Amino acid sequence: MESEDSDFIWLRLDGQKRLATENYVEGNTVYGEKLYKKSKIEYRIWDPFRSKLAAALYIGLDVFPITHGTKVLYLGASTGTTVSHISDIVGYNGIVFAVEHASRVARDFLDRVANFRKNVVPILQDARHPKQYFSVYGKVDVVYSDIAQPDQTEIAITNCQAYLKDGGYLFLVIKTRSIDVTQSPKNVIQSEMKKLQNNFEIIQDMTLEPYDKDHGLVVAKYHAKG
Amino acid sequence: MYFVIVTELGIVVSQNNTVSKSFAFDNPASEFVEAKKGNLKNNSVINYLRELNAGFFISDDALLKALKKESLDVQIMDEKQMDEIQANKPQVLVDAGFAKNIGDAMSKLRDFALSLSASRVTEVSQSPDLHIIQAINALDEMDVMINGLSSRLREWYGLHFPELDNIIDSINGYAQIVMAGNRSSLSDKVYQDAGFPDSKVQMLSVIQQKSKGGDISQENLAIVQSIARQILDMAKARNAIESHIESQMNVIAPNVAAILGTAVGARILAKAGSIKKLATLPASTIQVLGAEKALFRALKTGTQPPKHGILFQHPIVHAAPRWQRGKMARAIASKAAIAARVDVYGAGLNQTLLDKLNVRVTEIGEKYKEPTERPPQPQREGHHDFGRRDDRRDRRPRDRDSRGFGRSDDRPRDSFRNRNRDDRPRDSFRNRNRDDRPRDSFRDRDDRSRQGFRDDKPHQSFRDRDSRRDGFRSRGESDGPRREFRGDSGKRKKFGKRRF
Repeated sequence: MESEDSDFIWLRLDGQKRLATENYVEGNTVYGEKLYKKSKIEYRIWDPFRSKLAAALYIGLDVFPITHGTKVLYLGASTGTTVSHISDIVGYNGIVFAVEHASRVARDFLDRVANFRKNVVPILQDARHPKQYFSVYGKVDVVYSDIAQPDQTEIAITNCQAYLKDGGYLFLVIKTRSIDVTQSPKNVIQSEMKKLQNNFEIIQDMTLEPYDKDHGLVVAKYHAKG
Repeated sequence: MYFVIVTELGIVVSQNNTVSKSFAFDNPASEFVEAKKGNLKNNSVINYLRELNAGFFISDDALLKALKKESLDVQIMDEKQMDEIQANKPQVLVDAGFAKNIGDAMSKLRDFALSLSASRVTEVSQSPDLHIIQAINALDEMDVMINGLSSRLREWYGLHFPELDNIIDSINGYAQIVMAGNRSSLSDKVYQDAGFPDSKVQMLSVIQQKSKGGDISQENLAIVQSIARQILDMAKARNAIESHIESQMNVIAPNVAAILGTAVGARILAKAGSIKKLATLPASTIQVLGAEKALFRALKTGTQPPKHGILFQHPIVHAAPRWQRGKMARAIASKAAIAARVDVYGAGLNQTLLDKLNVRVTEIGEKYKEPTERPPQPQREGHHDFGRRDDRRDRRPRDRDSRGFGRSDDRPRDSFRNRNRDDRPRDSFRNRNRDDRPRDSFRDRDDRSRQGFRDDKPHQSFRDRDSRRDGFRSRGESDGPRREFRGDSGKRKKFGKRRF
């Protein structure tokens, strides 16, 4: 009925294949998602229309390096929808450093996600200055970047240089409309991927249609020197 | 050599990887931020360092400067060491005695992050400009509600007393009359109390006798009156908000208020997000705040960019003749940008800004009295259709964003334009090499189309019109304009790189 992974799970609900993660805080919902109990384990349904990472999983990812105990640096946490699911996946031994600059959404993020989840460390700072982050320690295994800035790729790269371990993965959500409204989304994704050439080996790139319009996702492996 | 490390939980002084002394923060969230700014809460750290009387490597720039002032022998730690500390932060905290074990250190770091984040949210929420933004948004929403309810009130009470609608314009006056009850209980006193002059009172009482309206039941009247009461209450609240915005703007952003006026200033502020963000915006952005749709359409398709967004509501722009509005908006926006910066740094009201703006406004008024024959930038009428190209037949298939701008009267307009399209030699645009100078030819085309809307030009003869139309048609058949348009959009893409 469903394929089970250690990281996330595909459930069959109402005849449809749905993605879910094991709830880290039992009984707690973050954005009004459905809870589903199966063999005494509670799962949270992961909505691909609200989370770009879920959308990517629906479309099909070649690699999914986020698992139990992974350390993740998450740029652009917003209200924490995706962060909460990553927090579910990395579990007790993992940690998610969630960077968000806008205080309005950070308010919701703190109230809904960060206060309940012991593996989430909220960082209210500008992702342009990774050296100034507080409470971050060591290198991380994955950098996930979902920021709406024209220089989003550059920001992600500086963060990788500061915190991503050699051989770690970058998940870069490319918001083409934030970069250049005049270019076609495809061209924008291509030109952003070029910026990654120096230190990254691109593993996969995709557009997030039909879940998100004009959004792309690039998965790349980081090689610190080279 | 000693190392001085600023951590989230306290300051550590160490030598040869052994901690000599550590100073824990009592209140990490606030003291850490202060230490990062170079302010230490007490002097115990400095006193201790002085006693050691040695050279120090400092992990933080601001603290380095602060300690230099104390004439200590300090220098910045090298990158590699800082990275190492960063990587082993939990261990450093344990060694310093700030935490019992690594797990404890990690959870303390998280607690620190939570409390610091919470205090930042609190800090931001307290800034007064956010309250102004809420107030101006509330004001605009209240206007919508009052207008909506008021027209419902007029419709409903109009069944009972239809003549009233045409005589009384004021929303408040109408609601006050409704509050008095049904038609028969309206007296001169009611009208006078609602603030109408005697002439109107007399007229009303005459009309009241001969009204065509039907009866209204008590139940219905009660509901209508409760709507009227809501309107009166809301109008009261609206006025309170308005004066609140006025006074707050004069306190927080006196210069912006002086240049833009309180209401427009507050709306611009709301668009920017905060007074600090407004201060970082270039004048060109401020000029088109509120016209994002038109601006991005301009960037995308190469149409004319908007001349003004919210600034259209500014009395100077609004009152100016059409062809001056762009210049006025630009002058105001540039002064507003400076004003916002002055306000952020709290320098108080600066009268020269307003004076200089007034000088420029008068200058524009005098210099461009007449609509210019061939303006350097084609101007358009009406703020709502800035950037709309008139040569719609030349356009590519419409994309999503331009939907809704199509006009059913394209053709008549075109023919009207063609009739008196131009009084200068046709060759002027024909001879030009279009592919080389796409922008110029584009402008020419716009100039030409513009002429069509001017009514001060005598209409040309019929024959003239026909010959011109032929010229136009042949151009269309050769697919010339379309190619030219594409070239233009290619050029435009370079401008599209601009950040908004």
